[in-house]
Amino acid sequence: MVYYLIVCRSLTYAQRTELALDRAGITAHIMRSPKVIDSEGCSHSVKVSERNLAPALVVLARAGLSPKRVFIMASDGSYKEVLL
Amino acid sequence: MTYLDSAATTLQKPTAVAQAVFSAMGRMASPGRGGHKPAMLAAETAFACREAAAELFHLEDPENVVFTLNATHALNLAIKSVVKPGDTVVVSGYEHNAVTRPLAALGCQVKVARGPLFASQATLAAFDTQVTPEVSCVICTHVSNVFGFILPVEEIAELCRRRGVPFILDASQSAGTLPIHMDELGCAFAGMPGHKGLYGPQGTGLLLCRAGQETATLLEGGTGSLSAKQEMPDFLPDRLEAGTHNIPGIAGLLEGLRFVKRKGEAEILRHERALVRQTVEGLSAVPGVTVYAAQAPERQGGVVSFNLANMDCEEVGERLGRMDIAVRAGLHCAPYAHQSAGTLETGTVRVSFSAFNRSADVKRLVDAVRGMTR
Repeated sequence: MVYYLIVCRSLTYAQRTELALDRAGITAHIMRSPKVIDSEGCSHSVKVSERNLAPALVVLARAGLSPKRVFIMASDGSYKEVLL
Repeated sequence: MTYLDSAATTLQKPTAVAQAVFSAMGRMASPGRGGHKPAMLAAETAFACREAAAELFHLEDPENVVFTLNATHALNLAIKSVVKPGDTVVVSGYEHNAVTRPLAALGCQVKVARGPLFASQATLAAFDTQVTPEVSCVICTHVSNVFGFILPVEEIAELCRRRGVPFILDASQSAGTLPIHMDELGCAFAGMPGHKGLYGPQGTGLLLCRAGQETATLLEGGTGSLSAKQEMPDFLPDRLEAGTHNIPGIAGLLEGLRFVKRKGEAEILRHERALVRQTVEGLSAVPGVTVYAAQAPERQGGVVSFNLANMDCEEVGERLGRMDIAVRAGLHCAPYAHQSAGTLETGTVRVSFSAFNRSADVKRLVDAVRGMTR
């Protein structure tokens, strides 16, 4: 299943992100960022489904929450950065 | 036990606090240190606690709620973020050593805005005089930990905003009883313990930070973020929270915050003030007792000091302790306050209340003190 990872600067930021999306009715889950997409060391990401990325970004912009980076996980398991 | 030392630590806590501590010890690990269930459960608890604190103290962003060991830790972080060695700093005449010792360690020029006990206007006028252009920071306690004097911090904060001077609030004795509006005060930081009026366990405290406020670290270490870098993260709360969190403490503090929210700060204050009034009336009727009480009740929180003629305050405290009445005697780590009130040589006996005290506690105290004077 294809999904997006919204990389956050901190766990607390990821929790704020998840909460904002949850309040908007968008299912989101916090997970540790895969090592391959995290060049600066440990971080947390918020996972959203493929169809939910666009509304999620709108919600986050309204809440003043800026994703650090966004990645898409392709069907072969690789990650590719999404340029916003 | 009649416990009347809540200005140091509230002993009686809501039942849910100890339950949460116990539960956390068995179920929670460390936030940001793993994606497994115990780590994520700890993360959820920490975030819920930040949110509860942000809501109670009117702070928009829970990221600006930093967990500390106690109020002293929080105030050290605040002071060392704003004040540089040798700076000129204005403080009230009622500060605790948690404020004045860090300033002394930094070699600061400390100007004391001293006003008589319970004299709000005179205190405000003293700040007005002392906050001059060379001043780099103003620090003020919200409530004197010795006398319960409520300082006019809203007006002092407003004065600081007008003059462009950072303001640090010591909310050690007010958090949980008096409203603290971070958004309205506009202060750089507010520091507070978790284990007093917020009814959390010892070893907990909070530092509330204004959005965008620059901060300096006291500790450097692991944060579970940006681990490939050797510099501390530049974002909160990670920047000021190096090392493993006190998650059992935070879980307990969360329940304490929920208790305060449920009961209401105004109701807790009303209750404590009623006990203070009863104490003042009771002790004032005992020959040889001097009670330090505000004429205007709205200027005093849930703390009151007294002395007995011809008896050392420590002896009073000791004798009450033997009767299972817990009070605090001495200088209460606040020599500035005693200097302002003229009690530096004698100290005082301090009585302080919480939501769990009852009128019978005061009656027992007054009867015991009366017995000592016979």
